[in-house]
Amino acid sequence: MAQTIDKLKQIHIGKKGAAPIAAPGWTGKAADRVKLVDCDVHHNYREPEDLLPYLPRFYQEHLLDQGLHLPGSGYANTPYRRTRTDIKDPELKEREFNFSLEFTQKELLDRWNIDIALLTGPPTFYAYAGLPDPDWAAALCSAFNDYTIEHWLGQDPRVVNAILVAPNDPALAVKEIQRLAHRKDTVAVMMPMQTPQLFGQRLYHPIWEACAEHDLPIVAHIGGGSPGSTPTPSGFPSYYMESRMTRPNLASAQAASLICEGVFELFPNLKFAMIEVQQMWAAPLMWHMDADWKAIGDQTPWLKRLPSEYFREHIRIGSQPMHEPPKTEQVYQMLEMLCADETLVFCTDFPHWDWNDPVTVLPKLDDHSHRRIFAENALDMLRISDDMINQVVS
Amino acid sequence: MTGIVVGKTAEIPEGGRKIVVPFRGRAGIGIFNVGGRFYALRNICPHKRGPLCTGEVGGRGNSVAPPSMTGGDVGYERDGEIIRCPWHAWQFDIATGQCLVDPNTRVKTYPVIVNGDELIVNVDARDFIAEG
Repeated sequence: MAQTIDKLKQIHIGKKGAAPIAAPGWTGKAADRVKLVDCDVHHNYREPEDLLPYLPRFYQEHLLDQGLHLPGSGYANTPYRRTRTDIKDPELKEREFNFSLEFTQKELLDRWNIDIALLTGPPTFYAYAGLPDPDWAAALCSAFNDYTIEHWLGQDPRVVNAILVAPNDPALAVKEIQRLAHRKDTVAVMMPMQTPQLFGQRLYHPIWEACAEHDLPIVAHIGGGSPGSTPTPSGFPSYYMESRMTRPNLASAQAASLICEGVFELFPNLKFAMIEVQQMWAAPLMWHMDADWKAIGDQTPWLKRLPSEYFREHIRIGSQPMHEPPKTEQVYQMLEMLCADETLVFCTDFPHWDWNDPVTVLPKLDDHSHRRIFAENALDMLRISDDMINQVVS
Repeated sequence: MTGIVVGKTAEIPEGGRKIVVPFRGRAGIGIFNVGGRFYALRNICPHKRGPLCTGEVGGRGNSVAPPSMTGGDVGYERDGEIIRCPWHAWQFDIATGQCLVDPNTRVKTYPVIVNGDELIVNVDARDFIAEG
């Protein structure tokens, strides 16, 4: 017993306070390199009126008169009482979190030793993709991006941004990319995943072209929608859990569209991340496409390589929500099937109820896979310069 | 095995809780008052090690059949008896520590003894380790 006590004492030395389980065993960053990149950190405004200073006068009146009038999906992505109550400010009356940079620094970046955090905006806001008025959608994105610049960026070198763009009018999305691409903290472009047309179709090529021009990847997060569109070809699932099961179908369709339309032949440096859509779908997609390509690939003769090769080079899969199969060995099998050391990028989905922490999300991995999944795949994808990396590891 | 006083009964009204730290490590334990009875749970969720005792206390939806079936009315049961971990929302029976969504999972419980107005939890030597 005495020996056990000594051992426990050692473990507890230097750790004070009633903080919940912070990351035992996670030693955080080394001096020489980035160890942990989080590709899905949600941020938000406190109330829609916060966007007013960043809207043109015409749209200020629109907001004051009509509100955001974002179309609802029919489901609550972050149900009121299923948010992370452990870090919720009890003073807060609103349904959402007390979103602020300080909050995110304290509860995510510092506590979990995140080296680089990619801001992805609020999923409820992604419904801008379903606004009938494309100019209003684009104005909201610009305002949100400017709000982010003023309230979230330039204060902590760990925080980088995926600028929001609206698919509603691709020309306006291109304009927004051109407006903000010069900023160093613009390291990706965020696009809601449910779009009126599939990602590979030529309507969107100008957006991908602008991304490719600036070496910016697209981070496609679940959400969005468009007037009249439903999450499945057979309409709306009745329940929230059921709706979450449709996400891989959409991701799979978007990935197949990008590959089949030859988007990666057109834009050889383009990278596309599919975020918060589970993971396993990607394995059968790669296998099925490869099999079909061998048989009927001459129907899409512009595809010069196996579809899985396009996938592994260009498409990335967010790690959250991570599957929890019944046996640990199945996790390793899944990671191998996914070519996870090439395709998987770590995401927390902070601060939502179904977030994954970096310690328990996966069983112990070999060093190579660990580095690729938790840092290098993301660093290869995001437009992050060496001097930005030096800032966070120095 | 010896008992230590972790609080006064008046500190934890019905439906309330008190988190006591440190206790078996810095996560501590949560003392709950459910219907006038006191229970203590380890503040580490056995699922993903989230701070279980900071979660929401409530009940859960119930139904004997799908709502499309006659008699398939939805209800709400066990209000105040169930805690949900703030990470991933797994439900636990506060009185027994049994996880209600996985029969093979249970959170550690500690008997709470009410001695007058004092709440006492039995601990062993390991629980006395002070924070550094």
